Amino acid sequence: MRKGMRVIGVCCVLALTMRNLALTAMAAPATTERYLHVKVDDSSKGESVNVNVPLAMAAAILPTVNHGSLHNGHVTIGETDFNGVDVRAMLDAIRNAPDNEFVTVKEKDQDVRVAKLNGNLIVHVLDKSKDGEKVDVTIPMKVVDALFSTAKDNELDIAAAIRALSDAGDAVLVTVQDATEHVRIWIDSHSAGE
Amino acid sequence: MVLLGKVALGIAGTALAGVGLICSEGMIEVKVVEKQPEVHHVYVLAPAMLVPMTMHFIPSRKLGNAAAEIKPWMPTIRAALEQLRAGEDVTLVEVREPGQHVLVTKSGGSVVVDVTDPDETVHVSAPIRAIESTVEQVAAASPDTQD
Repeated sequence: MRKGMRVIGVCCVLALTMRNLALTAMAAPATTERYLHVKVDDSSKGESVNVNVPLAMAAAILPTVNHGSLHNGHVTIGETDFNGVDVRAMLDAIRNAPDNEFVTVKEKDQDVRVAKLNGNLIVHVLDKSKDGEKVDVTIPMKVVDALFSTAKDNELDIAAAIRALSDAGDAVLVTVQDATEHVRIWIDSHSAGE
Repeated sequence: MVLLGKVALGIAGTALAGVGLICSEGMIEVKVVEKQPEVHHVYVLAPAMLVPMTMHFIPSRKLGNAAAEIKPWMPTIRAALEQLRAGEDVTLVEVREPGQHVLVTKSGGSVVVDVTDPDETVHVSAPIRAIESTVEQVAAASPDTQD
């Protein structure tokens, strides 16, 4: 009889523990923090700089900055920066187009490639004259759309782009590699970089 | 005898509550080790609440210049500190050079800065809440009364 009571007691304790664990798991926030990482390695000097910014923090800070060309999360760009190109019309065309290579330039000193692949805008630049500098940029189209989501033609919505980045998956956004330096910008859920 | 015991208990309780209150915002920790030319150790561990309390004793006119400069940036500072406090622990900045290492992290409720170079090692840890109240007090000082 006492043994039976003990077994029932142990079962009750186990059931309560399981219930508490389940409640704790359900109460835990499902969202994990997302980070923008910037890593610069200079092998010639033996230097490395690693910056990790929580995207939530960046999204909260940007609208509060009103300095220079940055105001309320928007950055104003001069007409000359676009060189007369209608960027919105160009992006509309790219958005509606299937995956494709849009620009391929091969010169003596430089190769440039602009393409759309798997919902990303991809830019590759290879500078053959300058230590073989290689630049790779991969930006999700959603982020590009957010960047140009403002009403004004000469503005970029940086805050909206950051919010769009938060919703994007883990991705390497920019890599720059030359003979001595390596720059990498990426987003993921790890707080301590690589 | 019983009355004496009750008084002693009251005093001890009040002292304990006072210590608890003073330490409620955490502790500021500063550790400096100078390696050259002689080895010197400096270690300060102080309740973080003392810093904003001390700020009350600094005349406003002494803070006027700092207040004028910091005021436009207060919304940004508030947003950054709020997000930092609410977020997970993170290594914010890490710089490595030959012989030098700088690390800025958010650990628990504190911002921690560690600098190591051939001459000295510096470790500073300050609770975010104390940083917030100190910055708010600097910003609240009237810039009109600056020297």
